[in-house]
Formats: sequence, structure tokens, C-alpha cells
Amino acid sequence: MSNVWLPCGDYHQNYSDDQGWWQSRFIKGKMILLLAVVFVAIPVLAPDYWVGVATMVGYTAMGALGVQLLIGYAGLLTLGHAAFIAVGAYTSTLLVLQFPWPHVFLNWGLAYPLSILAGGLAAGLWSVLFGLPCVKVKGFYLILTTMAAQFITVDFVLTQYVSQIGGRGQAFSLPPGTIKIGPWVVDNDFEVYYLMAILLTLMVIVLANLLRSKVGRAWVAIRDNDIAAGALGINIVWYKLLAFFVAGFMAGVAGAFWVSNTAALSPEHFPWFWSLWLVGVILIGGVGSIQGAIFGSIFMVVIMELLQIAVLPLSDYFPKLLMDFAYIKDMAFGLAICGFLIYEPNGLAYRWWQAKNYFNLWPFSY
Amino acid sequence: MKKSILLSFLIVALVGAFLIGLSTNVIAAKIRVGGMMDTTGATSDVGKDYAIGMAEAFKYINEQGGVNGKQIKYTWFDYGYRIPEAITKYKLLKRLKSVAIMGWGTGDTEALSPTVNKDKIPYVSASYSAHLTDPAKSRYNLFFSSDYSTNARAAITAWFDKKWPSKPDYGKRKPRFACCYMFASPYCSAPIKAIKDQAKMLGFEIGPDQDVSLFALDTKSQIMALKEFKPDLLWHGNTTMSVSATIRDAYALGLNTDWIVDNWGFDENLPRLAGDAAEGVMGATPCAFFGQNYKNMDIVVKMAKKYNPGIPLEKRLIRTVQAWGDALITWEALKRADKAGDLSGPGIMTKGFETMRNFDIGLGASPISFTATDHRPTTGCLIQEWKNGKFQVVERVDLKKRWPEKWAKEWLGW
Repeated sequence: MSNVWLPCGDYHQNYSDDQGWWQSRFIKGKMILLLAVVFVAIPVLAPDYWVGVATMVGYTAMGALGVQLLIGYAGLLTLGHAAFIAVGAYTSTLLVLQFPWPHVFLNWGLAYPLSILAGGLAAGLWSVLFGLPCVKVKGFYLILTTMAAQFITVDFVLTQYVSQIGGRGQAFSLPPGTIKIGPWVVDNDFEVYYLMAILLTLMVIVLANLLRSKVGRAWVAIRDNDIAAGALGINIVWYKLLAFFVAGFMAGVAGAFWVSNTAALSPEHFPWFWSLWLVGVILIGGVGSIQGAIFGSIFMVVIMELLQIAVLPLSDYFPKLLMDFAYIKDMAFGLAICGFLIYEPNGLAYRWWQAKNYFNLWPFSY
Repeated sequence: MKKSILLSFLIVALVGAFLIGLSTNVIAAKIRVGGMMDTTGATSDVGKDYAIGMAEAFKYINEQGGVNGKQIKYTWFDYGYRIPEAITKYKLLKRLKSVAIMGWGTGDTEALSPTVNKDKIPYVSASYSAHLTDPAKSRYNLFFSSDYSTNARAAITAWFDKKWPSKPDYGKRKPRFACCYMFASPYCSAPIKAIKDQAKMLGFEIGPDQDVSLFALDTKSQIMALKEFKPDLLWHGNTTMSVSATIRDAYALGLNTDWIVDNWGFDENLPRLAGDAAEGVMGATPCAFFGQNYKNMDIVVKMAKKYNPGIPLEKRLIRTVQAWGDALITWEALKRADKAGDLSGPGIMTKGFETMRNFDIGLGASPISFTATDHRPTTGCLIQEWKNGKFQVVERVDLKKRWPEKWAKEWLGW
């Protein structure tokens, strides 16, 4: 058997083969190419604007990964993920601005990286708090409890209390040079992009590893049938809350990253619409797939930007097109979700899987 | 078959439009000015008229020969008052090589301020937050109007000067004051520290703040809470829709108090929406109301008729005039910078905006000045009230004249 290509067809003989990452040299090469595109080709070849768009794709994907874990892998419906992103963003910002870091931490650029971790932890624990009702409720009722997370967290706790810390009013602003990782000061679009690429890669690796472990199998079992999973000896409460913690942690990291992109923060950065948007992302990308969260993010951000650029030349003749573009965008968002639910309910990830299968089975792909 | 032909046609059309879109980025002998407006989001009740006014102003500017003969290509987007959206829109406008950007809300303007300063692109916003007036922190942020903190300080001072002495309890006790605004909104909360500082200085007793959403249609619980405090004066820092809802509820529930309102909550729609409850409401006015008799108002009205004949003139608002204010100072700055041969960001700032001293836009605004150390455009604000079916002047408060020390040394940037 060649170690470059896998044999045609269903070739795995055991679980560890099936779940192995580097199954052939071709797959290794493919992943190296992907990393080269992400870390070299995009920042070197793409204009500033598209690097900014790629950063937005990454930020969306970071949030969507947590939603994917909850909805797609653990079967826990959520509509309040923006709240956990907000908790991460505020924790990180307040730690950077307010915490009396020892000089050595500031000089060595440790404050921001530690604040990312703290943001993740705070958001994870906060997410567990709002995940507690999942012990008793599921489905639509769980959606309502997660929506409560949005309103209690952003509109009440962050707005009324957390924003008052330091007496800055609602808008926090980070002075230039504050976002520093070791000697690396993150202060332009390219550096923000690299930070996003590193964090997103780490998040994908961690989540992919979790999903092929005992924990991931427990989540999937709970998603498919929680009563049966319980009968098999899986501690349902523990694994559901663990899913909330991990999803919240990732949201917190996404929030802490967001601060590096804007150097400013207010509760308006985390509207409820963003929670809804993230669910739309995984519906379009494909529920129950890590690639789905990323494909969905690319689709939702890049397609909308392309649509906008396509509308630009027409604006001279139809000025209302630009004025109403937000409506057009919302309409496109709604249409895309309807279209995918009707014509491709498994999302873009399924198409990707089909394309891969076609080549894996080639020349007997019929 | 038909389906696939239709789909192919659609794809070709989209790709074609996209390519044309890319090619329009290169515009010979034109100056690109970008815009980000809210015509659909939380502040669209005032944003739509502003956006329309801004587009009309740039058409007029081009009719007048543009910037020393160079036409302005004004490209604007609605960002729906969503901050992440504002950031991608800003990046697109930067990519389109906009020499200046006409912005909108406080949340996004403050969020973009560090980026704008780094990119050195003059950003003329409809956010008049005082946080944007200290060039040491936000060098490239500008606007034509008195800032929110100046508005707030001027409004409470005008009430203290003109209204409080006529109250029966004058001289017997301290006047009671509280604020209604959306806590989560950087726009609404921007002047709160300043107005409370002013209230303290003038000897007010300050009560608890009330959180009123920008979308609020019912504010009875906030009014009931205020009834316990019995305020003589309330500040409302939202936009017209929620301001009128609050004033109406206060009127209906018998909360006997006076109101002072920030400029975005005080326009021609307020009496339409609040009815009798609007009687006596005072507000900060950065410029004349639409159609009022001022030097350049006939141009504003003429352009409104010419370019948007479908919108009846009686529906147009002070927001149009505010948009003209921001457009006119940008035009003036571009002309001055172009004359000096430097249309770069720093050039537009130092050879354009920061050379303005008592510049009059001719639309009832206070004279405008910018210096390298102070971007507060005006030193005071005109306070008007809605009385007997029309807006009437209460007082033009000049803070710099009344408190020169504090104006110079304490109040910059907040």
C-alpha cells in the first residue's frame, strides 16, 4: 500500500485508523498547503481590505465553533452565544486596563496573553451557569434560557455594572501598544490577522482532538439520544455542562481576540443578532462539522462582501441600493438559510465531503 | 435546462457587476469621500434624514465645482448601527482610497477611532461625543457641532438660568435632577459624567439614572421610579423616538417635571410624536431647524426639492441640516488642503480643518474652530424649546465665556 495515497473506498480497519490525522502523505501535504495559504499566501498576496475580511471570517468562525459544539455535537440549542463572547472581551480588556500587573509581566508582554486565557475561563464558567438549566430542559426551552444569557449578561451585567469599572463610561478604549504578546505588538491589520489565524488554528486542533476522544463520543451520544446515552453509563449532566464550558471558553477567547481588532469595546459590539448570525453560520456551513463552522463563516462574510462590491457600481444609477444594502444583506442571510434548509440541509460541509468522496472513490465514484 | 441557463445568467451578471465594482475603484481626477450611515438600525429614526441630507450636500458641492475643480465621488453604506459591520465597511472605504470618511454613531466612531488615527484618515462623524475632541487621543476625529458634553452642560445651565428662578421652590431648596438614557449606548452615556459634573457645580441634587432603550415604546416603569424622586428637571440622552415615548409617558402619569434633551432627541418629529407632552421641552440645537431663516438654508431646501422630490419638505428634519454642517466643513477643509497641494490625511488635518477659525457654515450653527490641541468645534450651544407650536430660543450658552478656566484646563475630552 502506498503511503502517499489511500486506497480507493472504505479502507479503515479500526477506530484509531479512522480517526487518525495523518493518514497519508497526501493528507499531510494538503494540510501543509492549507497552512501555507492561511499563514503566507493570504497575508502576503491579499490587499489590506481582504486581509481585514479574512480576519472577520476568522472571528466569526471562532464564535461559530462554540455554537457548533453545542448545537452540532452536543445537541444543545443556543441563541445567546454573543453573551459569552462579550464576557471574554470584557474580562480581557479589564484585566489589561485595570489589573495591577507586575512590571515584569508588562515588559515581557504577558498581560494580554494571560488575559485571553482568563477571558476564556470566565466565559466558560459563565456559560456553565447558563447551561445549568440544560439539566432539566432541552429544545425550545433551552433556547429561551440561552437567550436569557444574552439579555442578563450584555444588557444588564456588562452595561449596568462592568462598564462602570474605571469610570470610563460605556466605551473602553485600549491605548496603542497595549495588545502585546511577548515582544510582538499587535497593532495593524496583518498582525491582527496572524493572531486570529493562530488562535483559530489552536481552537480547531483542540476541538477536533476533543471530538475524537471519549468526551467527543459522549457528546455525540447525548446528541443522538440522551436517554440511551445515560443508560450506557454516560454522565449526561457532566458532559452537557462540559460542552457549555468548552463552547464558552472558545467564545471567551474569540471575545478577547476581538479587542485586538478594534482596540475599543462597548456593549453594542455584542448584539443578540450576532448570536442568531452564528447559528445561521453553522446551518449554512453544516451542522455537526468543524469544517461546517469555517465554511459557513467564509460563506456568510465573503459572499456578503462580494455582494456589496457587486452593488457598488450600480449605486450611481440606483442610489437606493446602497441605502438599503443592510436590508439586502439581511434578506440574503434569510434567503441563504431558507435555501440551504430546503436544498442542502446538511450544509456546505456535506458538499465538501461529497467532493472528497468522489475523488477518494475515483475512478469508481458512481 | 432553463434553470441552469437562468443560474448561469445570474452568475455572469454578478461576476460582471463585481468586476465593474473593482474597476470603479480607480477613478481619475476624482476625490473619493466615504460614508457610513444608519438608515435601518437602532438610530435610523434620525439617521435616514441625515444620510439623505449628506448625499444631497455632496451633489451640491459637485455642482459648485467640487474641490477646486475636482469632483467628489461620495460612496456611502448603511451599516445598520452594527459595530462589526462598521469595521468591515470602514476597511472597504479605506481600500477604495477615501480621503475622508463621513461617519455616524458614537459606538462605531469611538470603536474606529484608534484605527482611524493609525490610518490617518479624517473621520467626520455625526457622533458629537466629547471623547473625540482631544487631538492627543483622537487626532483624526471631527464634527461641526457642539459636542454632547457641551450640549448637556449648556442645556442644564440654560434651565438653571431661565426656568428655575420662576419655580415656586426657587431659593427654598436645591433643584432635583436625574437622567434618562440607554446605559448600553456609548452615544447616550457619553455626556452623563459632564452633565452630572455641571449639575453638581450648579448645586443640583442628583437622583438615580433611568435606563431607557433606544427602541423603547413604553417607559412607565422608569417614570414610576422617577415619581419617587420628584425631579424638577430630567435629561434625556436618546434619539427622538424613545425620547417622545418617555415624555408622553411622563405626561400621562402626571410626572410634573421639565425636560432637557440632547440634540438627537430634539427635532421636528418630537412634537409630532409626543403631542401636548412636548410643550416646554428644551433641547440642544447644533444648527437651525430645516427651513428656518438662515443664510444658506435656501440652498439646503432647494437641493432637498431637487434631489429628493418624493420626500415632502414638511417631513424633512434638522438632521438634513446637520449633515450639511458636516459636509460643508469637510468641503472647506478639502479645498484648503488642495490649495496647499496636500490632500493626504495629515495634509487635510493640518492645512484644512485645523486652519479653521470661526468658520461660519451659514446654517445657524456656532462659529467653528479647530486647532492642533483642541477639536471642540464650538464653545457653546444654542438651547431652544418647543413652545406654542414652534421652536423658540431660550439662551445661547457660551461655556468658554462663563467658565474660561474650566473650559481651557478641565473639560477637554470628556
